[in-house]
Amino acid sequence: MTRDAEAALLVAAAMLAAMGVALVNFAGGTGFDAQVALTFLVFLVAFGVVNGALRRWAPEGNPYLFPIAAFLTAIGFTEIYRLDHHLASLQRWSLLVAGVITASVLFLLRNEGVIALRRFRYLFLAAAVALLLLPLLPETWALRGATVGGSRLWVRLEMPFGERALSFQPGEIAKIFLVVFLASYLADRHLAMAATAHRIGPFRFPELRRIGPILVAAAASFAVLTYQRDLGASLLLFTLFVTMIYVATGRAVYLFTGGLLAVGGGIAAYQLFDHVQRRVFSLLHPFDDFTGAGYQIAQSLFAMGSGSLTGSGLGLGRPDLIPAASTDFVFAAVAEEMGFAGSVAVLAGFALLLAAGFGIALRARDVFRKFFAAGLTIALGVQAILILAGVLRLFPVTGITLPFMSYGGSSLLANFILVALLVRVSHGERS
Amino acid sequence: MNGPIRYVATVLLVAFAVLIGMAGYRQVVAADDYRDDPRNLRVAAGRTGRERGTIITSDGEIVAASEANPDDPLGFRRTYPHGDLYSHVVGYATLLFGSTGLEGSHSADLVSDRDATISGVITAILGGDLRPSGLRLTIDHALQTVAREALGDQRGAIVALDPATGAVLAMVSTPGFDPNELLGPTAATAGEALQSDPSEPLLNRATAATYAPGSTFKVITTAAALQSGVASSGTEYPDTAELELPGSTATISNFDGGVCTTGTSVSLADAFTRSCNTIFGMVGMQVGAEDLVGAAEGFGFNLEPPLDLPTAPSMIPDADSFEFDLPAVAQSAIGQRDVRATPLEMALVAAAVANGGEIMEPFLIEEVFNADGIVERTTEPVVWRRAISPATAATLTDLMERVVTAGSGRRAAVPGVRLAGKTGTAEVPDGAPHAWFIGFGPVGSDDVPQIAIAVLVESGGDVGESASGGTVAAPIAKALFAEFFGVTE
Repeated sequence: MTRDAEAALLVAAAMLAAMGVALVNFAGGTGFDAQVALTFLVFLVAFGVVNGALRRWAPEGNPYLFPIAAFLTAIGFTEIYRLDHHLASLQRWSLLVAGVITASVLFLLRNEGVIALRRFRYLFLAAAVALLLLPLLPETWALRGATVGGSRLWVRLEMPFGERALSFQPGEIAKIFLVVFLASYLADRHLAMAATAHRIGPFRFPELRRIGPILVAAAASFAVLTYQRDLGASLLLFTLFVTMIYVATGRAVYLFTGGLLAVGGGIAAYQLFDHVQRRVFSLLHPFDDFTGAGYQIAQSLFAMGSGSLTGSGLGLGRPDLIPAASTDFVFAAVAEEMGFAGSVAVLAGFALLLAAGFGIALRARDVFRKFFAAGLTIALGVQAILILAGVLRLFPVTGITLPFMSYGGSSLLANFILVALLVRVSHGERS
Repeated sequence: MNGPIRYVATVLLVAFAVLIGMAGYRQVVAADDYRDDPRNLRVAAGRTGRERGTIITSDGEIVAASEANPDDPLGFRRTYPHGDLYSHVVGYATLLFGSTGLEGSHSADLVSDRDATISGVITAILGGDLRPSGLRLTIDHALQTVAREALGDQRGAIVALDPATGAVLAMVSTPGFDPNELLGPTAATAGEALQSDPSEPLLNRATAATYAPGSTFKVITTAAALQSGVASSGTEYPDTAELELPGSTATISNFDGGVCTTGTSVSLADAFTRSCNTIFGMVGMQVGAEDLVGAAEGFGFNLEPPLDLPTAPSMIPDADSFEFDLPAVAQSAIGQRDVRATPLEMALVAAAVANGGEIMEPFLIEEVFNADGIVERTTEPVVWRRAISPATAATLTDLMERVVTAGSGRRAAVPGVRLAGKTGTAEVPDGAPHAWFIGFGPVGSDDVPQIAIAVLVESGGDVGESASGGTVAAPIAKALFAEFFGVTE
């Protein structure tokens, strides 16, 4: 029953994407064409496969997560199609692949559910570390790291045939692996980490060595910042670590320590890295270096301002003026063409997704699944907030993708799997 | 364990509330600022295709117009019939390079409201006129043309204005550019070529570039001496070929290297007529830094003159910074050292003397008229500053008239019209001097001056090293005076 409602909503999302493509076509002087049909079909197949897998392997799972994800994917896809037809056709392939792999993940977890992952926690940790280090591979190898926009977040695999290289961002998948590790690690240790060893006035402190993991997390995040030259991935990792430890222990001292380390690390990063300085400068004074560091954020503001309340209309704005409009800054492009109305819809979509994710965590009966669901939701939420705050000029611009909406296969795949895992956690509650 | 999850969930959801609030601020509250920012190419993209108002000169010549675009039945195309003649005053409105000049600063008048905005629709429903307004400039097309031709291929600027009102009668900066080139299919390459051109054709030298004013600054030095009472036009000074500057090995010498008149003693009036640096070095030290800077600021130095175009302030350092540095005071008094002025400012200096000491705010727009040709607004003359007393202005007028009748400015003289003026030859390190002339006319007890002029020719113009204000700039002023007063020889 719930899966039927989900299926109906997924069909609606597919129609939304198809209609979006049609609107872009109208603005360009054409009309219904193969692109419209193809988009509808691909959305239907990709989400159909997921829906089918859920019917079979997680029938009692939360039915609202995938429709919201599909809605965000549809909005993002429409904007990508409007910006670049070629990218859109690549994104369609990614969508199909993501659908199939997500179904496979559900298949693998069909018997034990996400608990199965707990056994391989150190494998996941090792895999996460390896994935995070992958972009460091020398640029001359067939499988090599690549620097895009100043950040070393990418890995390219030279294909044996043709000119094209397969690119992916291993950090997106590593994010999920880390949540698996942290959730199982904390499920074992949370009581010890929460135990009060010292008491100073109203403050209760655990044993000093329990702070260790936080220090490791801070060091790892700083390392990521150093070699990947990207503020976003580093902050995402660190926030995820600290917040999950806080969720597991309920001890504010971890948040406090993490906050101190974040501030200290932030100041150190600002002193050490000119790319961090540039990002901060362009946050504070986007118009002072209009043609340089401030260009992207200034264009984002122009786009959002020009979009105003109801937007320019699909295909009628100039989001092509924003650098990285189809990836990091896709929100600004949506905000221009769909207006504040569209912005609110997107932001509300993410908020609903988070609320549902936290709801699943709250209802989970065993600690591992509780921490796992909370961690996945936090990872998704923090990533979205970081890049959205950057685009809205509330925070330095970070080079991370907006889940579901940005162009990019690895991001789409990772966030599909993330949502599937959340649904799988919720399935366990009803059985 | 659910407690912390609830807290984290609350924090993240509040973060989204903040994001929605911020999106609302960016897209609704502050939206207009972003949308209308001149660097936002969407504005230009949206507006260049629309009809813009006509810009005409005071004598009715069309200098900017919108015509139907043959490629786009709903769109318009901007044309500038006079090429580079108005490149800095009217400017341009382009897709690629934003807008400048009056096209930029008066966009609100010039742009048609006939678009799909809600306010436009409401205005139309209420019977409002959505057609764009036009501008009538104060500039006289004939005078502007003469000014442009007089400068020829030389780099420089000319500003002519009505001293009684501040209305700008001509404003030319060379080299200019043809704004039409920034609109066509080759706009991008044309624009890049202009931006990288070392002669800076995009720079409005008349209002936004500063130069050492040289001896034209002696008008201000003399005004300071007269106002403070340290000298009158009859005050005698020792006439030497070289003025040794106290506490320094530097000296000031006259333009031709000789003495000013006879080598014995010379009056302030004669020194002014012949523009003797040695005497004015002495006058400057006598006046002192404080009164010198005070007089210059009275004329509008260290301020941006109000105008519908970007203006640079003319500069003289703080009195405190050089009051005990007598060589600096002496050199500043002859318009060298760190003194810098825009041609607009020097035209205002001439206008101040012409107008009994009062400087009117310069303006370029005579009136704004609607699509039916009915005048919507006119510019009312406003006093900007009182520089000097009427008595000082009268004395300076006498001195300046002698410059044109018997002094360094003889080449500006026009038969039948009594004119006043001052030349300037500003020394430039490692280069040919800048040639200046400022002046006004007609003068005389029965006449009210109708035009004040500043002419600047950069780096000696066509003459080069041996150029002077009297030989290079004064003849250009003469051409303008002749045109303005209708004198033909």
